[in-house]
Amino acid sequence: MKKLESRHWAFLGLAIVVIGTMLLNLEPDLDVSPDTIRMHAFIDSLPAGSIILVSFDHEASALPEIKPLATAFLRHAFGKGLRPVGIALMAEGTAVGYRLMEQVAAEYHKQYGIDYAFLGYQPQYIAAILSLGESVKQTFPRDYVGHPYDSLPLLREVHKLSDFGAVISIADGNMVTHWVEYGRARFNVTVAAFVTAVMVTSYDPYVSSGQLRAMVGGLRGAAEYEKLIGIGGAGRRGMLAQAASHLYVLALILVGNVIYFTTRSRKGRG
Amino acid sequence: MDFGTIIAGLLTLAILTFLYRDNPIYKLAEYLLVGVAVGYALVIAWKSAMVDLLFTPLFGQGDWSLLLPLILGLMMFGRFHARTSFISRVPLAVLIGSGAGAAVPAMLGPRILTQVSGSVTPLVGTDGLPNWSGLIVIVGVLSTLAYFFFSREHRGSLGVASKVGTWFLMIFFGTTFGYTVMSRMSTFIGRAEFLLTDFLHLTR
Repeated sequence: MKKLESRHWAFLGLAIVVIGTMLLNLEPDLDVSPDTIRMHAFIDSLPAGSIILVSFDHEASALPEIKPLATAFLRHAFGKGLRPVGIALMAEGTAVGYRLMEQVAAEYHKQYGIDYAFLGYQPQYIAAILSLGESVKQTFPRDYVGHPYDSLPLLREVHKLSDFGAVISIADGNMVTHWVEYGRARFNVTVAAFVTAVMVTSYDPYVSSGQLRAMVGGLRGAAEYEKLIGIGGAGRRGMLAQAASHLYVLALILVGNVIYFTTRSRKGRG
Repeated sequence: MDFGTIIAGLLTLAILTFLYRDNPIYKLAEYLLVGVAVGYALVIAWKSAMVDLLFTPLFGQGDWSLLLPLILGLMMFGRFHARTSFISRVPLAVLIGSGAGAAVPAMLGPRILTQVSGSVTPLVGTDGLPNWSGLIVIVGVLSTLAYFFFSREHRGSLGVASKVGTWFLMIFFGTTFGYTVMSRMSTFIGRAEFLLTDFLHLTR
């Protein structure tokens, strides 16, 4: 059997910290950031009945962050009476997006084709966005489950991208940039985004310049959004583990530095 | 517990075994992930693009205008043989030309011009007090640009500006790294929650 190295102990420690805090089943209180408040206010400002385009632009690997974000947002949207139309510009987002919309729609007793719809996946995202700007029906002649476009009452109300009240991109990569560059700039549609934490710094400049109406990022953002809509979820459940794991990493950095400088000074004396 | 949850739980544990060391169980889960992802994407793309956008309207509804993209698409396969590879240059030229035509104006506006105008804000607020945020943005943008100006040696005032730019870059990289760590922790927390809740039923 292989001898355990220091990194193994570090991983083991992290697992104990995360699993231990999760078993406590606590949901700590937290302050809500201005970014999350802005997104919540924007969704709130859309009139009930507005049709919004929700684009699931992520891979399955981002699910631990994307699912709490998307669930909190969809709960807010359905609760407010918005009518989301889902699409996916990345293949793996298709099944994830469809399942999430079905689950949250069922919580609010929404009816497929009238209160929400899911159009499915289109490859070549730039071509897909440009095509949506010309005609939604030509881009998606059928929905994800095979209904012809005109057979769904909800879809008969939208013809092109600018007919949507907003585009909400749920993304783990640079797809939001394409929505801003092609969707907003060319077809004047408002774009907002729920993104993984790693993408927050990439999109901050777009929020500052007003090209991105609002942005919520990461598990922390999901927890804050859950607090604003008053419904608990995976975001708030994961916050204690998130805080504990960060403290654990800080402690490791501190210990590592102490060991490094102690060893160096000893070598210097020797 | 449904069959899918059992499989997902076992595969999650298989992937986590890599933390100890590379092993056949991890390899099996890794290859399965790649294979399933590629297979799924292929099927979805075939149905969404080829069937719904090409075959059904072309052969089912007689939309003969789609013959042109079909022929261009078939010409791409010319690359598979050295003697016919020149045929693929035509669809490639169409693809690159139309792509560049759509991308250049789209990037020039939102990525450069709007971002530049977004960086220029009044340096004094309506209350007569300095707009510190605007000042920091101006200093940050100019000093970072100075760092990437390589036509002159970084000495004197340019050297000072580029040094300040380095600090702004380091702060940006640090913030991005911090968010990346947060993102990876969230991924692990998400899987831990799945294991504890859905797979092992240890928490609600």
